[in-house]
Amino acid sequence: MNEGWLPRLRGIVTVRLRGGAQEELVNDCLKDGLALWSIRRTSPEEMEFAVQVPDFFRLKPYLKRTGCRIHVTRRRGLPFWLRKAAKRKFFAAGIVLFFATMFLLSSLVWTIEVRGTERIKQEDLLAAAKAEGVYPFQWSWKLPEPSLLAAKLSARLPDAAWIGVEKKGTRIIFQVVESKRPDAAKLNSPRHIIASSDAVVTRIIADKGRPVVRVNTKVKKGQTLISGTIGEPPNTATVVADGEVRGLVWHEYAIVSPLSIQTHVYTGESKTKWSVVLFGRALQVSGFGANPFAQSQTQEKQENLGWRGLRLPAGRLKETVMETRVEEKTLTREEAVQAGIERAKADLMSKAGADAVVKEQKILHEKTDNGKVYMKVLLEVDQSIVKEMPLVQMQGE
Amino acid sequence: MDTSMGKLSRRMRKWTADILDLPQDVAYDLPRMIMIGDRQLYIENHRGVIHFSSEQLRLKLSKGELEVNGMDLIIRTIWTEEVFIEGRITSVNLKDGEGKR
Repeated sequence: MNEGWLPRLRGIVTVRLRGGAQEELVNDCLKDGLALWSIRRTSPEEMEFAVQVPDFFRLKPYLKRTGCRIHVTRRRGLPFWLRKAAKRKFFAAGIVLFFATMFLLSSLVWTIEVRGTERIKQEDLLAAAKAEGVYPFQWSWKLPEPSLLAAKLSARLPDAAWIGVEKKGTRIIFQVVESKRPDAAKLNSPRHIIASSDAVVTRIIADKGRPVVRVNTKVKKGQTLISGTIGEPPNTATVVADGEVRGLVWHEYAIVSPLSIQTHVYTGESKTKWSVVLFGRALQVSGFGANPFAQSQTQEKQENLGWRGLRLPAGRLKETVMETRVEEKTLTREEAVQAGIERAKADLMSKAGADAVVKEQKILHEKTDNGKVYMKVLLEVDQSIVKEMPLVQMQGE
Repeated sequence: MDTSMGKLSRRMRKWTADILDLPQDVAYDLPRMIMIGDRQLYIENHRGVIHFSSEQLRLKLSKGELEVNGMDLIIRTIWTEEVFIEGRITSVNLKDGEGKR
């Protein structure tokens, strides 16, 4: 029977009883609260039972009364174990030493782990930690309080927004969150803002520098719009002129637009070819024969076998050969003109920027010839006309 | 239950047990036994060991006695009111003073 830890701590004695009124002894003991267990007959005259050490010393009066004699057969538990240990001094010392060493070694800091660093160098952090008393082979009871340590480390490392300190056994983990710094401002040399093309100014806002032109002024390409030179002549300074200038710019487009367009359309006829794919090589299994269509397009669709999200190198390939036909669509003159203008506008947007607005469009000249429409279109566009021109410092001679 | 217990008191107990629907062992101080196959036997409400050998265990009850027969019987644990027996149990007899029941 498993006795549990308390009887073991007190020590358990197995006792053999001889002679006397043995049942009487058991009853008497029970009545007075002595715990006996594992009672068995070893022979008709002898009985064996287990008893705790403190109870064992209380047995004597009962033995006397019932006329039994006892003989201890087995001793177990801590008191006996200790006595044995006292005999084997070196062994006992070894056990104690083992646990002591284990305890000491496990209370050392063995490794320091740094997580989450990109800009901050690990060495810097480790050096800061060392200055605060955290380094490998340091006693863990000498470590400062994690929250305190985190605060001190943060003070030492200004690049870190937050440092978390976690102790996991013999491991110290520093979790670092680096502070985000804004990108450094681009360094620019002093400049003017000049017009990128001939235009009529519709809006001018100078963030930096001195606006030279006003709204509704006609400017030539290359004319200064925002000057990078500020101040009255004797006391001038040059700055990086910056701002928003928009103007009306005229673009002339010569457009040729066909009156008929050709498109490929599917006839609905198709042929399917199947192939087996193994390790990137396809082996056709059906749909042999030459392409029966004069004009066709082929669509491929590959399906690989998979198993639990794993793609296997085997699969099938379906090729659908679809017959096509060229269809000619005739446009009216208006449609052709419209299509041409749309193309011109798309081209303009790509040149003048997405924020350009077409204010007006005028067809200057139009001619239909050889199934095409020839025309000249004038587009009036409100767009940014900013161009930067570096200021060359005029050094006095 | 002792014989010293008065007739009235016994009646009261019976009446209470009937009214409250109490188990018999609680009401009359009868032994309660839990037997697991022929291996283990757990007896509550005994009044002491009369005889114990590896073939037979006789327990005193409040009225009569209990006889457990078997082989290699061991009293695993024993408290003032409970016994836990292990071994190969062949029979359990209740004796009411006069004869077997």
